[in-house]
Amino acid sequence: MGRDRWSAAGLALLAIGYLLAGRRYPLDTLTTPGPGIAPLVAGLALLGVAIWIFIVAGPARPAHAAGGLPEIRVAPTCPTESAPQRPASRTALLMCGALVLYVAVLPGLGFLGSSVALVVVSSRLMGLEGWWRPAVLALGVTGVASLLFARWLGVPLP
Amino acid sequence: MSDLFVALTPPNLLACFIGTVLGTVVGVLPGLGPAAAMALVLPLTIKLGPTAGLIMLAGIYYGAMYGGSTTSILVNVPGEAASVVTTIDGYRLARRGRAGAALAVAAIASFVAGTFSVVALQLAAPLVARAALAFGPAEYFAFALLGVVLLANLTGGSRAKSLAMVVLGIMLSTVGMDPLGGTVRFTFDLAGAQAGLSFVAVTAGLFGVAEVLATMADPASTTPVARVRFRELYPNREELRRSVPPMLRGTVLGFLVGLIPGPAATIASFVSYGVEKKISRHRDELGTGAIEGVAGPEAANNAAAGGGMIPLLSLGLPFTPSTAVLLSGMLLMNVTPGPFLLRDHPQVFWGVIGSFYVGNVMLLVLNLPLVGVFARVATIPPRFLMPGVLVLCVVAAYADNNNLFDVWVVVGAGIIGWAMRALGFNPAPLVLGLVLGPVLERSFLQALTIARGEVSGLWASGPAAVMLAAAAVAFVAPAVLALARRSAAHPV
Repeated sequence: MGRDRWSAAGLALLAIGYLLAGRRYPLDTLTTPGPGIAPLVAGLALLGVAIWIFIVAGPARPAHAAGGLPEIRVAPTCPTESAPQRPASRTALLMCGALVLYVAVLPGLGFLGSSVALVVVSSRLMGLEGWWRPAVLALGVTGVASLLFARWLGVPLP
Repeated sequence: MSDLFVALTPPNLLACFIGTVLGTVVGVLPGLGPAAAMALVLPLTIKLGPTAGLIMLAGIYYGAMYGGSTTSILVNVPGEAASVVTTIDGYRLARRGRAGAALAVAAIASFVAGTFSVVALQLAAPLVARAALAFGPAEYFAFALLGVVLLANLTGGSRAKSLAMVVLGIMLSTVGMDPLGGTVRFTFDLAGAQAGLSFVAVTAGLFGVAEVLATMADPASTTPVARVRFRELYPNREELRRSVPPMLRGTVLGFLVGLIPGPAATIASFVSYGVEKKISRHRDELGTGAIEGVAGPEAANNAAAGGGMIPLLSLGLPFTPSTAVLLSGMLLMNVTPGPFLLRDHPQVFWGVIGSFYVGNVMLLVLNLPLVGVFARVATIPPRFLMPGVLVLCVVAAYADNNNLFDVWVVVGAGIIGWAMRALGFNPAPLVLGLVLGPVLERSFLQALTIARGEVSGLWASGPAAVMLAAAAVAFVAPAVLALARRSAAHPV
């Protein structure tokens, strides 16, 4: 099964789950429509589109072939970053984990502590070597954000 | 009209200046689009008050339109979708050593088109606002539905996928209280979700956090920017002469396209390029590095950006992610865009329009001499830039409602947005679905109630019937055309 069909199956499951969860909201009548009507219509619409993607659309075609806007892809002219130590997709997955962990520890550690850790981890995952430069970057970014938003503008930080 | 001069007060001038500079920088940075940048500074603009805050947001929107052309021309990487077509001839001009000329023509074209669209906006918006007073729920529903269908057709790539994203956005908009009865839906007993999913958190996640993850997953996608020498900054007389007709054509065409619901700036740039390909005196050179290929599309996308403000200011309906953030900003500042904006908040309305004039002048002054400086922004390595984007996303999401749930939303939206990109789904229609969802639901339910449950009440009025018919045609036509093409290619 191709990538698009997996996506369609995922969307269909999401639509079914949404429709099931929406059953608790009354539909009432067409004269006095209830809060369940919009979820019902939206859920059925997503289910329909998912079936459309699964059966008719099949594998994605280039935009210009579908009559849409052309897609412009450009190969980089020279390497810009030092070669990553680990596969790039794994790096992104590690970053996802770091982000989830960040929100989990945010109430306990506070904005400053957790954000410094987040910037250190993310900059190292992006290829910034050593510990000094990530640490300086983290203190700079977090410090500027705190000064600008919390101190000067009075914007509350988590 | 005297409220136009509100834009010239020092705080508003400063807001306009900061907005245009920020917008230009954002436009220069590939990936971080104007919608994400506007969402990131939303907490800051709320502190400035409605007029200065909206002037700053509008400045970012216009500035990004200007700045987006810079990386298109210099490195063939568009800063945002509306600058994609500029890469075709702009980059080839840069490779021939005419980068400066292309950048200057792009800036001049943007200025001319931006100024024209402001004048037209000033004249048209009050008229449209008056006409919009005749709009009832059925007409709003039909117009929003037409926008959704056109959007699915025109975002490029798979139509079904775009439609799926719009519907998903509408589904997400049903989280929280329903717009009519106040019933709390799909919160799963999470107190933080009762107010619904924060638009700022979703946008910052889908565009900002997802961009960071996408850059990590594909480090080769970042491209270095060539430096432009000062003496290369200006076009010669021949280049200027050749730029004028496409610039004027692109301006008028872009403004008209901007009035149609959908991603107007992007479409306008492609339509303008298509027109130049057909009627330009130098049409044979287009695609090989013709200045017409820069002047026309750049004028068109900026004029369309102005045109796109009309449905936003007059009807309260945004059809691009950027105008959706602008709408969100207005609502957060207790300013409701729509037919009554001019009556209830004349200073905001005319102040924002007045700032467009000022902003266009500032952008020209900034872009012509500082284009080389802006180009250097794009040379900041992602490993320094992206961690800062993450922190900004968190601050923007939390500051919207002081709600930790929104920080979970920004992270969740970022991870989902990255997965969407990997699977070939464009997140922009989802954002618009999220914004248009409550409009669609409210107007649909109100129209049904007014028509005493008769579904035919949705198309009882002439304008609603025309718009619904147009939506039906726009929905069916691509499939019919594809079938016709297929049967023509393989006759029985």
